Amino acid sequence: MNKILIIEDDDILRDELSSLLNNAGYETVFITCFNNAVQKMVEFNADLILLDINLSRINGESLLHDFRKKSNTPVIMLTSRISEIDEVLSMSYGADDYITKPYNPTILLLRISAVLRRYSRTNSIQCYRDVHFSAVKGSLTRNGAEQVLTKNEMIIFQRLLDNYKEIVTRDELMTALWDNDEFVNDNALSVNISRLRGKLSELGLSDAIETRKKQGYILK
Amino acid sequence: MKLTDFLKDKLIAHIIYIASGLITIIFMSAFHISIQAILTVSIIFLLAVIIVDIWEFIRKKCYYDNLMRCLEDLDKKYLISEILYEPDFYDGKLLYTVLREVNKSMCDNIAVYRHENTEFMEYIELWVHEIKLPVSRLQLMCHNDENSKYCEQLKLIDNYIENVLYYARIRNSEKDYIIKNISLKKTFSNIALKNREELLVRNISVRIEGLDVYVMSDSKWLSYIFNQLMSNSMKYLANSLSPEILVFAEDMNNKTVLHFRDNGIGIPQSDLPYIFEKSFTGENGRIYTKSTGMGLYIVKKLCLKLGHSITAKSVQGEHTDIIISFGKNDIYQF
Repeated sequence: MNKILIIEDDDILRDELSSLLNNAGYETVFITCFNNAVQKMVEFNADLILLDINLSRINGESLLHDFRKKSNTPVIMLTSRISEIDEVLSMSYGADDYITKPYNPTILLLRISAVLRRYSRTNSIQCYRDVHFSAVKGSLTRNGAEQVLTKNEMIIFQRLLDNYKEIVTRDELMTALWDNDEFVNDNALSVNISRLRGKLSELGLSDAIETRKKQGYILK
Repeated sequence: MKLTDFLKDKLIAHIIYIASGLITIIFMSAFHISIQAILTVSIIFLLAVIIVDIWEFIRKKCYYDNLMRCLEDLDKKYLISEILYEPDFYDGKLLYTVLREVNKSMCDNIAVYRHENTEFMEYIELWVHEIKLPVSRLQLMCHNDENSKYCEQLKLIDNYIENVLYYARIRNSEKDYIIKNISLKKTFSNIALKNREELLVRNISVRIEGLDVYVMSDSKWLSYIFNQLMSNSMKYLANSLSPEILVFAEDMNNKTVLHFRDNGIGIPQSDLPYIFEKSFTGENGRIYTKSTGMGLYIVKKLCLKLGHSITAKSVQGEHTDIIISFGKNDIYQF
């Protein structure tokens, strides 16, 4: 389970954020007192940090700047400021992504998992049971048999694989597709999933993706 | 300054001169002074009056003609007191002092309003910043409670807040934008993603073509512009058979032209020239939705500030095409 450190001085927002992340299967920790914040950030040894820019007594950007001298943990900046300058500054201080409030929670989760994936994986081959999934080649391989996936199928499979044995809602899949410039509609999503199922069953895994009624899909 | 006007102005003085001259001549004749002496005195007297008039006329003409010429050439007429020099005659000096005083007082007065305006704009920015916090909280709460009905309303609220923010920014925007190379595709995708739920509910398909280009713009402002165009399109796509938003870009030598097209109800030709004007709602605004006529006005202003040009083409009942062209200028490149 990935551990996410939330640095946010608004209590309500922090609690809601925390329950959102817990529901999505992350462990959350907080910093509530900002004395010696950089030291605490390092000590928590989190997998990812969500950092608010406008903390009441300390500036998130300078915090990030100091933190980057000590650690390479991925950081996503959250802000309600709407100026380009903050974004440019944060990115130059070494933020991995930048999300403006009010954020769409589904997009936030998507970005978190994208950043985590980027960090956890050095080679791009992942395994599902005895199937090799190569994002670079865009293919699934099992016992020498190969199935080439389309871009949409890859995005869907990647989401399912990231949430292995957990339910992925249609909404999440849709967000992931749209985030990759594939503006598909409901029907197209169903078509893509059934094609992906077809390709998996060609590899002898006909029961890999299970439909949960009114909930979504699950990769078993 | 005309000589006749000048003389007319001096009419009374001249009447007095002539009268006193005549009286002098009468007195001199009464004292039996020779005709030659009377003539000499009269000519000297007359010459003196003429010389004084000419001297005064030239002096004033130089000054006032210069003043009028400057006033005519000036773009901002209130600056006249700044370029005026102090004349060496009394009424000119008075005028000069009055102009300086009036101008100073007006500047002070304007400074007060400017200050108030700046304060108000700063407060609007701060307020937007403040209001975004409860909106963010609510959005997370709605998501955690799985209440999509409230989420839609929140999205509307967020859009209206953005309107206020950008309306404030088109007035004093000097510090708020950075022009850099930004990807049209990335900017548009983010907006499409943001509007995904509504697009899907309304069964609108989104197609992009040739958006793999970079333009010189500010990404936040351009996002706002796209979001406005998107929500307009969604409004007027209501009854189309196969609603579609098509966004494509043409890369040319000196500019990049972006088309934002929907196959919605279109805009009547008679309304087309006015759609970017403030508070213009037109036929569509009256018939279909509640429209305030602010969206496109703000969009146009932002485009002007960013140096993009924006136009609209439409065939009623077929499509609406909003065209933004981004200049390619080496000055922007660092």
